This record gives sequence, structure tokens and C-alpha cells, in this order.
Amino acid sequence: MLIVGGGPAGMSAALRLAQLQKAQGGEPLAIAVLEKARDAGAHMLSGAMLDPSTLKELVPDFKERGAPLASEVHHEHIYFLTKTGKIPFPITPPPLQNHGNYIISLNRFVKWMAGLVEAEGVDLFAGFPASEILYEQDRVVGVRTRDQGIDKHGAKKSTFEPGVDIRAKVTILCDGVRGNLTKALVRRLALDEGRQPQLYAIGIKELWELPKDRIPAGTVIHTMGYPLRREEFGGGFLYAMPDGLVSFGLVTGLDYKDPMFDPHQAFQHLKQHPAFASILQGGQLVRYGAKALPEGGWHTIPRVYADGVLIAGDAGGFMNSMRLKGVHLAMRTGMLAAESAFEAIRADDTSAARLRSYEERISAGPVRKELYPVRNVHQSFSYGLLPGLMYSGLSLVTGGWWVKDPIPVHAGFEHMKTLADYYGGNAPDVDVPVNPAKIDRQLTFDKLTNVHYSGTRHPEDQPSHLIVHDTNICATRCRVEYGNPCTRFCPANVYEMVDAGDGTKKLQINASNCVHCKTCDIMDPYQVIDWVPPEGGGGPQYEGM
Amino acid sequence: MMLVVAEQREGTLNRASWEAIAAAQSLGDEVKIAVAGSGVDALAGELAAAEAAEVIAVDAAALADYTADGYVLALAALITEEQPSHVFFAHTYQTRDFAPALAARLGRALITDVTAIKKDGDRAVYVRPVFQGKLNADVAAEGPAPHLLTVQIGAFRADAVKRGGAPAAVRKASISVDASAIRQKPEAPFKEAKQAVDLSQAERIVAVGRGIKGQEHLKLVEDLAKALGAEIAASRPICDAGWLPMDRQIGSSGQTVAPKLYIALGISGAIQHLVGMKGSRVIVAINKDVDAPIFEIADFGIAGDLFEVVPAMIAELNK
Amino acid sequence: MKIAVCIKQVVTREWQLRVNDAKTWIRDQDAGFELNEPDAYALEEALRLKEKHGGEVVVVSAGPARAAQVLREALARGADRAIHVESDELAFADAFVIAGALADAIREEQFNLVLTGLQSDDQGFGQVGVVLAEKLGMPSATIIMEVQASENELRVKRELEGGWFQWMTLPLPALLTIQSGINQLRYATLKGIMAAKKKEIRKVAPASTAAAAQTIVSAYFPEKGKKTHMLPGSPAEAAKALVQKLRDEARVIA
Repeated sequence: MLIVGGGPAGMSAALRLAQLQKAQGGEPLAIAVLEKARDAGAHMLSGAMLDPSTLKELVPDFKERGAPLASEVHHEHIYFLTKTGKIPFPITPPPLQNHGNYIISLNRFVKWMAGLVEAEGVDLFAGFPASEILYEQDRVVGVRTRDQGIDKHGAKKSTFEPGVDIRAKVTILCDGVRGNLTKALVRRLALDEGRQPQLYAIGIKELWELPKDRIPAGTVIHTMGYPLRREEFGGGFLYAMPDGLVSFGLVTGLDYKDPMFDPHQAFQHLKQHPAFASILQGGQLVRYGAKALPEGGWHTIPRVYADGVLIAGDAGGFMNSMRLKGVHLAMRTGMLAAESAFEAIRADDTSAARLRSYEERISAGPVRKELYPVRNVHQSFSYGLLPGLMYSGLSLVTGGWWVKDPIPVHAGFEHMKTLADYYGGNAPDVDVPVNPAKIDRQLTFDKLTNVHYSGTRHPEDQPSHLIVHDTNICATRCRVEYGNPCTRFCPANVYEMVDAGDGTKKLQINASNCVHCKTCDIMDPYQVIDWVPPEGGGGPQYEGM
Repeated sequence: MMLVVAEQREGTLNRASWEAIAAAQSLGDEVKIAVAGSGVDALAGELAAAEAAEVIAVDAAALADYTADGYVLALAALITEEQPSHVFFAHTYQTRDFAPALAARLGRALITDVTAIKKDGDRAVYVRPVFQGKLNADVAAEGPAPHLLTVQIGAFRADAVKRGGAPAAVRKASISVDASAIRQKPEAPFKEAKQAVDLSQAERIVAVGRGIKGQEHLKLVEDLAKALGAEIAASRPICDAGWLPMDRQIGSSGQTVAPKLYIALGISGAIQHLVGMKGSRVIVAINKDVDAPIFEIADFGIAGDLFEVVPAMIAELNK
Repeated sequence: MKIAVCIKQVVTREWQLRVNDAKTWIRDQDAGFELNEPDAYALEEALRLKEKHGGEVVVVSAGPARAAQVLREALARGADRAIHVESDELAFADAFVIAGALADAIREEQFNLVLTGLQSDDQGFGQVGVVLAEKLGMPSATIIMEVQASENELRVKRELEGGWFQWMTLPLPALLTIQSGINQLRYATLKGIMAAKKKEIRKVAPASTAAAAQTIVSAYFPEKGKKTHMLPGSPAEAAKALVQKLRDEARVIA
């Protein structure tokens, strides 16, 4: 049994398998988890709010076993932000009611799960990204880990270690949002046939330490409106934990129209808004990070089973964008995938026909129950904030029904307009921000400084793990049509247009800044960027995030 | 009384020894200076220029070449005889080689890499960097005197050494060193060009960033470095572009340096660069953008065009 | 050759340091930890010596329970077994205490060679190795860039300052502190990690706690508040003023 990706889905799958093995006996299963980060949990980034429903089933004695749940939710606020003011929502809509939920650090939570998993005898290999899927015809038989020790120019270094083929009866892909293996598998087997394209958002988050009495632990704030415009989907959040720690961030739909939009800049504007600036003032930035979220919901989930393989968690798009929660669904689908995989192995039949039971489990249980009624939410926001809000409200009554179901939608990057379409005759200078935020390095930061706070490290002497299949486009077509939006949507200053020396510009990729958010792979208007895993262990260090 | 152990190699004093003397003198107590080796009379005479109660020449044939065992034997005997309250060393590679063993043999505290000395009531606390300089720690020495201290190179100023009105008295210590007890057998030192440039040893560094605009302008930077007697270094974009080799890069993915003088030309001062050089004693920033973060940590700043300022500097230096 | 490598677990370089409430050390509850980088080179050198001369590589660490992580990592890279001197007090003990704990733990094993890194990335004493040698009665050599081993002795290349080096010979058993960059570190392998699970980590309590030779009174961030002296005027005037300041005031150029 091989699980690719040691996030909440992968850890839950591993734990569930170990439990089934223990309860039902039989020939011992070898269970392995591959994780690209240096240590378990190091690449985990989420709000994070945990709906404990799955945890209660998976680890009933989670409290006794010291689950790191920072704080139960006590106070909730939802505001609509205008440029300088805030308007409280009269009621908290049911999907955003969080009583009974916990504010957690997903990094700490997954570290804790890793401990449980290893205690059950599961082999957890941290620092080993999987670079490709191994097939026999169209049957998945395992994965190959990435080669280690290749230099910038592609030559083997003296320390070269070739990748290893790991073969498994069933491989569960939990490689996260826009996972590189899931992406390849879905394409090869056309698992998205008849599904809507996935819709994504980018979440940018900072962890701050504030004076301890600033805001009570368990306080949750959600905002809509400023700095986003009506045409942009998303909102801000702030979750207060004990000891003055707060998680604070902005989620923006990756289906915005303005090619000059910069999510990181919008986040700086949000911090300068009095509603947040007053809370953050005098505090200290501790950590920074960014990650994409799959927000498309039910209609965008691909077929999650095939011969020898299952897909769980964010990789499959199991997230509730209306409740802004996915950790419990990742855990749930990990568990269900484990159950189906276990049955299939015991029946000695790991074909797609047999593994289909995973989809049945999803449909028969809490996953569908939660996701189906909100199946059109993000889609409806593609038509703007007000139609989105109206539909979302209505869906609570109608169970998600709409005249056109599914509500038609395009992939997010197709929403981005060209400079000419968006700005008409007044095309802006693409090298200058349209709506710059003043950077004071106290409250607001530039991207490079933020990258420093993400703890990101990659060995320098390796090939770029961001593969741009056609860099000619950048200086020519893209510059004219979209003004190199990669330099803006990347929250880590990976993409820069630098002087080529002949009066033109050329693309420079600062791959070692990459925080593994996958936004470029998703949002590039020409879809020529491929994110592949860098050398094992590279990436951010999201302690406490 | 405090004892300073000066360092020499092949008859030449390590100039960091003067900094150790300055550190000891700054405490205001009587200072003695020792120098170990074979035939070190001339060096003792040189050291006698400093204001000191006396200069002690620890002269023995077995000390002709530096060995850790030989120095531990000789200095343990000297310290036991002299009973100083503190023993100062410069934090050099040689000191690092024997001082911990000396402290362990004497059973006395050793505080390494001291950058400043403060008074806390009537006891001294020593400031030393931890976490590679990201944090400072004030440290107290425990246990009976003498306390051994190594002072960071550059932290105390050699030119602050107080000179005596007349040369200090020079005395030969009667310490015998049993050559057969020395286990290390050294060969002659030799110089070797390291494969990588070790900028951490440079006294002066001229570092260049994006503001230089093109590789063809590096000549200007070389000229300035030459006029200053400095090494050339760069921020990341310059090395990424291949204008200078990777081993010249300063910062979180390059080298960490702390020279006496660091001149940043056209470097904005991203935090990734600052962590590699902010320990420099004197930082000069020359940048067009007056809001560049490099100015926040600079001692001297010129908000101007480096293509105008640098030629003027070269002209001034070559006058 | 029977080789001990002393290794330390330190917080990752990327960790954003925060000072504890008592202001005597850092708060490391959420920190990520890793093998002290200089120690990784010492381990690699030991593994290479074993590959050449045969024998055994034993990794030893003095630290709290979490330090087992770096011992496991060392076992995965090829060390044969591990000794963990486990005590919470060793988390940020001073050099004498650490060296004493290590000496007690390895004395009876009669190692031919003991290797350590040059210094730790956290406390940065640069003392533990040499003090350990003294406690074990071994000769030592520090900042080593190359090791040639024979039956009864070592010939090692020491780095001096300013591009100078020196070869020296010393009899075994001996202790060396290894300079970072002496070799190319190998990658951990899946095979190595699997093999490590079967290797022994022997836990021992510190035999006796030596008295600390130093204590941290206060830990704090170096002051940033440098006053920047902006030099006005034309480029020529500013350049002239700068050179004069560097010469006469700061005295950093001749």
C-alpha cells in the first residue's frame, strides 16, 4: 500500500489502513507514505479551522492522545469591509457557524498525526517527492521517486542518487491541491470527462504574534468586500489562538479578470484596513505562506478511482468552499479510500471496478451530504459578488438547485482578460503596480521579505522545478496580451521579467523562492507552466502555520 | 591581574592580539601579556609597547611550532603560577584549537567569541553571539577564577590599546615543556588557493547588486575594490545572472561575512542579503532609492547614482 | 576503525527565533529541528573512513528526547548504531556539561577516533569537541579539511587562517573537529531509512551532571537602531566626505 503525500488525507488513509489491519488481521500489509517535505507537516498550510467530525471517528480518544487543537471557537464575526469601514453581517449564515469547531495549526496537527501513524508501524518517508506514476498499460502499479543530486544543467553530481521505483497493489494519491501526479493521472485516463473544470483560489496567510491580551483565543473573523472588488471572489480571515498567536489571511479566487491584479498586494491592502491594522499593530510577523485551494466543489471532482489507484483530499478537490473547510473532508476521503483499498487487497482485486466502492462510499456518506447542496457556490460567484451571494443564500433553502445545474463555468485562467479587453485604450505600464500598497516592513511586506518568513529553502544547484514550456511567449505575446501576470499572481517572487540587455525583457525564474502553492501551474493564461517537485526536502518550513 | 595571551606564527604577531589586549585593558585592572614560542624575545619587545605590568616570554624549544598539547602544557603552568583573574585570547583558529582543552585541564570557565564586556553589579557579563549572530547572549562565567575569554576578531579595536610611557618590562618565564608529551607532530604550514573564495576572512568587501545594470560595468566595481584593498562580492541577482561566480554571493543562500568595511553598491537590501552581512562593522550603502532597506542598517549612506559616486570615490582614494 | 561521531540537534536555520519569557533562551515549542550542519560533514567523513578502512560508525548525541530524530537520520545515512544521552537539561547546556555527558557515555567503548563538527549553529561554543578530547585523554586537532588514516595514526590537514593550511600527524585514538565543506554530503535513501529502523539507539541517562561553566543571564536580539549618517551633496562631495569618514572616523581604510 502506497500513499503519496503526507497531509491530512494521506495520514488519515495510513492510520485507517493500520487500524483495519489490526482489527481484521490477515497477511500484514506494508504501508508506506511518501512526503516531499523535509519533515512531516512542514508544507502544511491552512486557515485552519477543523470540523472535528472525522477526527472523532478516526481517533476517538484524540483528546487523551494530545491532539494539538489550539482553541475551540468562541466568538464569531463576519464583516463586509468598505474601503475604511466595516459592516457587521446581521446574522452568521449557517455554513459559517463554527461553534464546536477548533482553530488549529495544520502543521502541528499533521506532525501529531505523523506520530500516530509511525507508532502504528507505517513507514513514513519524508523528503521523498514522487516524480512520476508507474503504469502497466493503464493500470497504476506505483510511483518513482525523484532523482537526487542533479545539477543546474541537468548533469549528475558526485552525490547522485537515482529515483527508486516503489510498487504497490494500490496507490492512494493525496498529493494535495493541483498535485503533480494527480494532474498527470487525470489527463492520461481522462478522469475529468464530464466534470466541470476545477476552480481554484489562492490563500495567502501570515502567522502573527500579538500582545497576549489583544484578542481572545477562539475568536474568528471573516470578511468580504475590500480589498477585493465585486468581480473578485474571496475574503479575509483571522483566527485567534492562545498566547497571542493569530492566523490571518486572504483567499482570492483564481478566476479574477484583471490581468494586473496581484493577490499579495491585495493582502497588504487588507492588513492596512483599520479593521485589521488595529488588531495587528505592535505585533510581529512570525511566518508567511501561500497555497492554492480547490474551490470548485462537487461538480469538479474527477473520477477518483482507476485501476490500482485512488485519489483523496485536496488532490481530488474535496473542499467545502462555502464553509471554507477541507481538512475534515481530506481526512474523511483518506479514510474511505483506505477502506476501499483494504477491501480490494483482501479480495485480491484492485481493479477500477472493485475500487469503485470508494466513490460509492463518498456518495453514501457525509462527503456528498455536505458537498452536494453547495455544488454551485463558487460557480455562481463567477457571475459576480451579488449573484453569488444571492445564489448562496438561496441554496440554503433549495438544497443547491438552480435552473441550470451545474451552473456553467470556465476554468479560472480563462476568466483573465487581456490588457486590451480589460483596460481598453488605457493600458497600464505592466512593470508598475496599478494599485501599489505602501510597504513599511512592519505591517506590510514585499514578496521577497515574506518569502524569508516562509522558511523556504531549496538546494541551489538543481534544475528549475518550474518548467515553462515556451519562454518565448513571455517576452512577446504574454507581455503584450496580459503583461506577464505570473510576476503578480506568484506570491513568492519566483517570476521576474528582467532586462535582456538588448532593450527587451526576458523571464527569470527564481525557483528557490517557490513556496509550492501551485498558483502558476493553475493561473497561467497560456497553461505553459508545469510545477514539478524539486529535490527532496526543498520548500517552505511552515512551523506553527 | 589579567593575562593576555598573544598569538604569533613564525615570528609574526597576529594583529588580533592587540584587540585582545585592548579588551583586557578596558576592564581597568592590571594587565600582563604573555607570548609563547621559541625565540620570542623580539615579539615580547614589540608587545612591551602596550601599557602592561610586564610581558612574559614563554620560551621553550618544544614550542617552536604551534601544537595544542604544547600550548596547553605551557599555558596551564603559566596560569597556575600567575593566578590571573581573567585570561584573554583572540578568537582565532589557533585559540579555538587549544583553549577549550586548556580550560578543561584547569577546570575553569571558557567563554568564547566575546564581542563586548558589561558590568552586572560587581561581576562581569560577556556578550557573545548565538544562533550565528541572530541573537546575543549575556553570559556569566561560573566557578573560581581565572575565567578564560576569547574575543571576537574586530569586536575590540587594536588602535584603542593603551601604550605605556616606557616599554613594559619583559621577563622570561621559567617553564619547561616536555617535548615527548606533545602528541601532535605538525608539518610546515603552506598556502593554498582554496577552490571557493572565502569572503569570511576579508577585511573589506565591496558588494554589488542589481543597480550595476550590466556586466560591463563590473570594471568600475573592481577599480573601487582595488583602491580600497577589498574583495568583490555580490547580491543574489548578480550571481544568478552569471556576472559573478556563485562563491561571491552574500546572503542566506551564499556566504555570511562580517568584515571591517562593507560597501553595498546598488543593493536594495532584501532581508536574504542582510542576514549575510549585517554583522559587518562599518556598512556603507550607495543606492539611488532613498527608501531602500539597505539604508536602515548602513552607517554611512549616499542616496545617489553609483555611476557618479563610485568614480569620484576612486579618484579621492587614489589622491 | 571504530569511530564515534558526536552530533547535535539544532533548530532549523529558517526558524524565526523568539526569545522565551525568562529571556534566557529561545522558545522552540513550534520550531523545526535538524542536524547541526557542521556535524553532518563529520558524519559523512566518518562514513567515508569506514568505507575505506572498515569498522564501525557510532553516532552519539546528548540532548532531550526529540534529539532521537537526528540519530535516526544519521542511522539512515549509514551509521551502524546510536547512543542517546537523554535529558531535558541537555537541551541548552553549556559546553562542559555536554562534553562531560558525551565522555561518560562513550569512554568505555574505546573508540579509535572521535569526530565532531566544528561548532554548533545554536550555542556556537566551538568547545565541546576539544573539551571531550581532554576528558577522554585523547589528542585533538581542529578545523580539519582532510583525513588520512593508517593503522596507528592519522595525518590530517588543518585549516589555519588566511588561506594557510598545515598537515599534522597524531596518534590514535584521537579526536578531530571537522570543517564544513570537507566533503560532499550524501543523500538519505529509502533503503537507508528502512535499514535504520532495525538499528539500535541505546538510551543512557547522563552519568553525572558536571557543573556548568557558564550561564546565560539574558538573551536578546542585537539592536538594529544604527544611526545612518546620510552624506549629502553632489556625487563628488558625497564621495569625498565618505572617504574622509572611512579614513579618519571609522578608520577602516588606510
